[in-house]
Amino acid sequence: MSLVKDLTNGIYRENPVFKLALGMCPFLAVTTSVENALGMGAAATFVLICSNFLVSLFRNLIPSKVRIPCYIVIIATFVTLVDMVMNAYLPDLHKSLGIFIPLIVVNCIILGRAEGYANRHPVINSVADAIGMGIGFTMAMVILASFRELLGNGTWLNMNVLGTAYQNQPLLIAILAPGAFILLGFILGFFNILEKRKGGGQ
Amino acid sequence: MFKLGLILMLVALVAAVALGLVNSRTAPIIAVQKELEKQNAMNEVAASLSPGDSLAFDSLSVSGLGNPYAVCDNTLDVVKVSVPPDTSRIGYVFIAYGKGYSSTIQTMVATGLEGRVSNTTILYQQETPGLGANVENPSKLIGSFNGLIPSEFILKNDGGGIDAMTGCTITSRAVTNSIRTGLEAMNEAGLFTDRTDESENPEGTVMESSTEGGVE
Amino acid sequence: MNATVLLTTLLATPESGSQGFDLGKMMAIIIASIFVNNFVLSRFLGICPFLGVSKQLDSAVGMGAAVIFVMTLATLGSWTVYNLLLVPMGLSYLRTIAFILIIASLVQLVEMILQKFSPALYKALGIFLPLITTNCAILGVAVLNIDEKYSLGYSLVNAIAAGIGFTLALVLMAGLRQKLELADVPPALKGKPVAFLVAGLMSIAFLGFAGLGG
Repeated sequence: MSLVKDLTNGIYRENPVFKLALGMCPFLAVTTSVENALGMGAAATFVLICSNFLVSLFRNLIPSKVRIPCYIVIIATFVTLVDMVMNAYLPDLHKSLGIFIPLIVVNCIILGRAEGYANRHPVINSVADAIGMGIGFTMAMVILASFRELLGNGTWLNMNVLGTAYQNQPLLIAILAPGAFILLGFILGFFNILEKRKGGGQ
Repeated sequence: MFKLGLILMLVALVAAVALGLVNSRTAPIIAVQKELEKQNAMNEVAASLSPGDSLAFDSLSVSGLGNPYAVCDNTLDVVKVSVPPDTSRIGYVFIAYGKGYSSTIQTMVATGLEGRVSNTTILYQQETPGLGANVENPSKLIGSFNGLIPSEFILKNDGGGIDAMTGCTITSRAVTNSIRTGLEAMNEAGLFTDRTDESENPEGTVMESSTEGGVE
Repeated sequence: MNATVLLTTLLATPESGSQGFDLGKMMAIIIASIFVNNFVLSRFLGICPFLGVSKQLDSAVGMGAAVIFVMTLATLGSWTVYNLLLVPMGLSYLRTIAFILIIASLVQLVEMILQKFSPALYKALGIFLPLITTNCAILGVAVLNIDEKYSLGYSLVNAIAAGIGFTLALVLMAGLRQKLELADVPPALKGKPVAFLVAGLMSIAFLGFAGLGG
């Protein structure tokens, strides 16, 4: 029950995207730019922390039979909160993230952690787990978004990196739908190689 | 069984109340922001009608104005532009709605009294990033709209004179055609018949000759 | 009930009155949701089941059918609740909660039906059946219908088309993956990586549909 372990679990060892294959939909859709990835990551992490907190707090009060719908209502409430607050105070980010803000509700990571961790562990550990998973998710998105934005647009965080010559003829496919799939495939393959190396080195 | 349903209802009720509270705080802010955004956009597009002057916008109710945007469930609302304290109109602003590749694109258009477009800006689009989304960039497509009359709003691909953005024919066509249908509806309602009134429109004579050249 | 009255109700939105029944618009929606903006390969909705259930052709078809069914009913429920209940009461911000509860209940219903009438399929789908609740595609199509301000008729058409598109992508993927099991894939790419690469290639193919239907 080490707190630090809970915190760092979600970053590499059980990274929600690369290892647990959760949260794929927003992961592929929102990573067209690093800015969007960071925004979505922050929003999802916020919802994750809040939901893990409440689920863990009430874990002995919510009856088992009706727990999934309850978790869903809790998650949906926080998502709607994030939606309203973002619309009011961060309208540009709200516009870019578009339909994927309400879709944070069905981000398998949040329900997955509520069902798979928070309902069986104390509040502090659950919050630590949420923070770790959120960071892991955001990091994963920033990695893919970096590739997609650099290759497909020549920029990184809207800063011109590869020059205007590149910007006129970028590798457009990276920023279109297929690019997300293909780049993710290669990243997962890369992680497989890393795992093999680690396993073989023992 | 009944107790389970009751607990779920309780959770849902607490949730609804919490949301209601936050909504009452944020909804007004959102509404104000939307209005501000619209005002800013109108000021931006209409600026070229009378550079340097502060403008007033009043919605017009025009009888006989058709609604070409009913297909995408929107209405053609025309706003009259004037320079206060003078209430005579110097031009119009309207929003054109066109079904693009993956979203309904909203373009704000400012025209002079003779139907010549003076400036446009994209209000809303959710097209492909890196491709159709570039329509927001004035140098890509909408920049070529300035000074055109309604009949000139046709893509080269469709037999007209406007270059579509490379690889974004659908987005380009949506914007172009939506502007044209809006202008044509306004023309049919008689909003552009002021071209003969030289006191309001100093460009009147220039307009006449170029109209003849433009109609092909 | 008179057929005309039924049709008019189906095609009206409370805001703008009847949208009429335009066959062209219907075809455009169908082609868009199945091919041009395929929910999986273009909109990235429904990836989890897309990866999880697409290993066997039979379970892929079964999952697809279940999704079409849930999507249609969910759209019916969510559209009605939103336009006839939430909006008139000024509670449109409650839509996410309402929609997801409707979807969760529908999935429970489907589970019970399948358990009774087709236990083989119920077993084959396993954990992925309750996971239909978190299928982004179902909530996605419900929200999209609202955002596009479709009438009930067009919303249902959109939902069925989206479901068909999802099934199409799923079935194609299942067929390909069954072959991939026997192919000589580099060890690092075996399993999920190559599945994503294949999905990417399928996505490129579907890009070719852009412009279809105008």
